[in-house]
Amino acid sequence: MRELIQDVRQGSIRAAGRLISLIEDEPSRLPEMLKGAGNWPQPRLALGITGPPGVGKSTLVDGLVQEWRQAQPDWMIGVVAVDPSSAFSGGALLGDRVRMMRHATDPRVFIRSLGNRGHLGGLTLGVRGTLCVLGLLGCQVVLLETVGVGQSEIEVSGVADLTLVMLAPGLGDGIQMIKAGLIETADVLVVNKADRDGADRLTAELKATLRFTQARRHGLPPEIYTTVATQGEGLAELRKGIEARAEKMASLIEERRRNALYEEVRQAILDTARAKLEEELRQAGDLRPQIERLLDGKATIDELVSGLLKANKSRE
Amino acid sequence: MPKGRILIAKPGLDGHDRGAKYIAHMLRDAGYEVIYSGIRRTPEEIVATAIQEDVHLIGLSVLSGAHNVLFKKVLELLEEKGGGDIKVFGGGTIPARDIPGLQAMGVKAVFTPGASAQSILETVAGLLQ
Repeated sequence: MRELIQDVRQGSIRAAGRLISLIEDEPSRLPEMLKGAGNWPQPRLALGITGPPGVGKSTLVDGLVQEWRQAQPDWMIGVVAVDPSSAFSGGALLGDRVRMMRHATDPRVFIRSLGNRGHLGGLTLGVRGTLCVLGLLGCQVVLLETVGVGQSEIEVSGVADLTLVMLAPGLGDGIQMIKAGLIETADVLVVNKADRDGADRLTAELKATLRFTQARRHGLPPEIYTTVATQGEGLAELRKGIEARAEKMASLIEERRRNALYEEVRQAILDTARAKLEEELRQAGDLRPQIERLLDGKATIDELVSGLLKANKSRE
Repeated sequence: MPKGRILIAKPGLDGHDRGAKYIAHMLRDAGYEVIYSGIRRTPEEIVATAIQEDVHLIGLSVLSGAHNVLFKKVLELLEEKGGGDIKVFGGGTIPARDIPGLQAMGVKAVFTPGASAQSILETVAGLLQ
């Protein structure tokens, strides 16, 4: 691992790809990777991009990469695209890159697709690790694309410094907007496909909703932008807006980064503990008789757990 | 844990991606993480993608007749970019007489129309061992 880190620091794309795989396969090795890394370079900005399927996330990412490459030709830009893995086979079809192929041979753009691997813990840590590798490679901005549904995706978006939530007309009525979740996590809101019917109305509803929303992760109300990502419309303003916002919130972002890493490692410890416990329970034998007792009302879950933990302790 | 990472790519000018998408889907269902490149990619794009994505295997689909040139270019670029250990297999409308040449060049397996899903899965599993 030390050797790979050395090579990434010197700009080896091959080594960066390998180091990401290593940390993705074994996220619990992240502390080992970062150990003694006082001068580990970090991106200036990690921007999370999330929203429902089909809203245009990959196209927006592609457009923003283009914007940043033009505005800051010396910067290296990273992209991490997380797609769902099949719950049945464990496989995944990672297709976000298809929208970004114009950057494929740009030496200053690094794109990596990750499967969420069935949320079996460690996804957040794996994404954090990927972000660290991209920082080490010299990426100044990293765009982190996730499907914005489900708890694990909201956790993943917590890895980012700022979260951009994308919406588009035609995906649901005003009630969808008041539901908890997605919108609460947003620092920046983007109404994409702004050339379609209903975009103005969606923007107006969004503004109205925000007026009543108290959840502000950073104390600043989210800003709303409208874009037509396929045409590149609105992207220059969006990029400038994001940069200005990141600057305004620099000290908050700094604090968030520290807390986030702490929380991610804590989560990984819990995940590991849970996996260990499951393994030990499996070894302790068949739980069926106890479950029968539970279902018959002859015991409670609390009693059962206490009993199991006690038995486990006495075995040690 | 997925069984491995595979890039399915379509180099060259033909836009017939049904086969490539079918293979991608099949490999996904067999438990692999499949990165799909989309159609009309250059060998440079394919190799850069393979390296960033750190795949174990590249599957190239060619129906344009330009397989000899395209496969060769991909293998050369892989070597050049430090990805010589990434194995390449392929499929498409490839005449039987060209297959020995492709294999001599370093292509690990070539599938032609009519190849069974089972035979492809077995070959891929073998290549990843």
